Amino acid sequence: MNAIEFILAGMLAAATPFLLAALGELVVERAGVLNLGVEGLMALGAVLAFIVVYHGGGHVMGFVAAGLGGAALSLVFALVVLGFRANQVAAGLAIGILGQGLSALFGKSYESLTVKGLPKLALPWLSDIPVVGGLFVQDVVVWLSLAATLAIWATLAYTKTGLVVRAIGENPKAAHAIGYPVVAVRFAAVAFGGMMAGFAGAYAAVVYTPLWADGMIAGRGWIAIALVVFGTWLTGRIFLGACLFGAVSLMGLAAQATGLDVPSQLLSSLPYLVTIVVLGIISADRRLLKLNGVASLGEPFDR
Amino acid sequence: MLTNLTRRTLMKGAAVSGLAGALGGRVAFAADEPLGITLVVPSPIGDVGWGHALAAGLEPVKAAYGDKVKVTVIENIQEGPDADRIMTKTVADGNKFLIAGSFGYQNGALQIARRNPDVTVLHASGFQVAPNFSPFAAKYFQGTYLLGMAAAALSKTGKLGSVSAFAIPELITSVNAFTLGAQAVKPDIEVSVVWVNSWFDPAKEQEAAKALMAQKCDVIFSNAQDTPSVISACEDAGVYGFNLNSSMKKYAEKTYLGCVATDWSPFFKASVDAHIAGTFKGANAFLGVADKVVKVVDWNPDIPADVMTKIKEIEAKIADGSFSPFTGPITKADGSEGVAAGATLTDSEIVAMDWHVKGVTTPLPK
Repeated sequence: MNAIEFILAGMLAAATPFLLAALGELVVERAGVLNLGVEGLMALGAVLAFIVVYHGGGHVMGFVAAGLGGAALSLVFALVVLGFRANQVAAGLAIGILGQGLSALFGKSYESLTVKGLPKLALPWLSDIPVVGGLFVQDVVVWLSLAATLAIWATLAYTKTGLVVRAIGENPKAAHAIGYPVVAVRFAAVAFGGMMAGFAGAYAAVVYTPLWADGMIAGRGWIAIALVVFGTWLTGRIFLGACLFGAVSLMGLAAQATGLDVPSQLLSSLPYLVTIVVLGIISADRRLLKLNGVASLGEPFDR
Repeated sequence: MLTNLTRRTLMKGAAVSGLAGALGGRVAFAADEPLGITLVVPSPIGDVGWGHALAAGLEPVKAAYGDKVKVTVIENIQEGPDADRIMTKTVADGNKFLIAGSFGYQNGALQIARRNPDVTVLHASGFQVAPNFSPFAAKYFQGTYLLGMAAAALSKTGKLGSVSAFAIPELITSVNAFTLGAQAVKPDIEVSVVWVNSWFDPAKEQEAAKALMAQKCDVIFSNAQDTPSVISACEDAGVYGFNLNSSMKKYAEKTYLGCVATDWSPFFKASVDAHIAGTFKGANAFLGVADKVVKVVDWNPDIPADVMTKIKEIEAKIADGSFSPFTGPITKADGSEGVAAGATLTDSEIVAMDWHVKGVTTPLPK
């Protein structure tokens, strides 16, 4: 296996934690709510999934627990910002810190333990292609994440539910005036985002790096939030962004392993640099941002 | 007695003791109070890793002194103002023996030592010395040299790898000694290093290990990772792996090559003895095999017997001081002379090492 094959084979799995969390945050932001607590929601999902899997509950139940836990904590956030109209930035940060604290508390006696990950499933024919074949050998969660990406794209773009969510994010007053339950839809969107962040954490702790250690999410929740902006709130671009980020971070490691003469500090910061550069290029086109940006993002709804 | 504190319970404790102080005035410490020993570490203490090794080093002290000492471990304290405040508080509470378990605690811990001459401070991996302040570090390189010999004997591809945290001298010397040990068995062996530039990111560490395996490295040195991230990835892929500080054999029953374990108890015990006797003198404690601080344990039975015999010979020579991994001639990775033939690097040259030996294929970050 050479470096290119290594990057192609690992890219999708490396991207999955970012992708799942970013897809959830996309729906939340599309409904007009900014949830900055993703990092903490992921940490909580990670520890809950780990505990369930460690005690023999299986990966499915682990993901269920993580999804429920993430949704439950994000509903606390929803209650604060939608029920009491608190500042979304401050409340999101607080929930994020709470999630990390809870994960450390629950995970105390599981520190540094490991579990078995999931087997990789190879797609027939495709996985035999030289060089790119590795792309088609992934665990089931990666395949499901790709399906989720398609489903969320289709829902937002082509269904009435998607239209309602977008309308509420665009102009909550107008949506309210024609009879849509703004607060209820936002509650649902936030809970969905929390569930997806929980899944993302679960993937990190029981599939990708099957171990639990306090702080193992290591900033991935923040990258997910950045990816939503990076992708200008469009599903396809967020998917590409997650893959790009995953590929570039693997590239940095592969370059070092092959002995390429590039400073490792530069390689470690490359994913961030690439993200910033692409973000800059996208933001340069004001029209594009205006077109896709969510008009009421972060603003509390007053009827 | 052992009390495990997290930051949260500590703050709760601080609030309670503050309340008690406000109500009843300060509690005076009598002369026959037990000696309060506090260990502060930056990471959570698990079953393995750096923090675990430090905490375990205090067990024999507790066993020896019983009720005469009271050990408190404060874990997960970030380097910076938080750590300074917590260390100051623990000394203000009457603890007279402080172990600052991370390099980044240096300035705060040194100030505490200067302000409180009756307090003894031990500080991990620093370089500052004061009459009541000793920095301590382990000569991991003595152990990684031995594991390098074993790795070379087991490698089929002739390529070894290391997942390393940061390119600092302590980690560079470990990689260099590992390479030299491997070359002692197979002269043309190569070592690739991936610097992850993080002390703690299990997912990235595991990706790095896989990147090395993709380059056909079939023995991986987990250099300063506190979780079994690399070791468990090795077991999954069926390549040998080893790590520092405490044994992770249970995470890799088949492919665990061994552990460069650190046992801090002889040093901690001697320091506590000296503190109680009033004879403690701050000095740079750079401890290795001869001090019984560094010890390789859990050797993999796959290592051929003749190589194992050689390893044991070298280990004995390191212990009696007749052998050093860093005796010349040693060539640097860029081809220039690192150590002249017959010369041996001194401790202070070793702790300042900023070059790779020939055979390490990854360029050192500048």
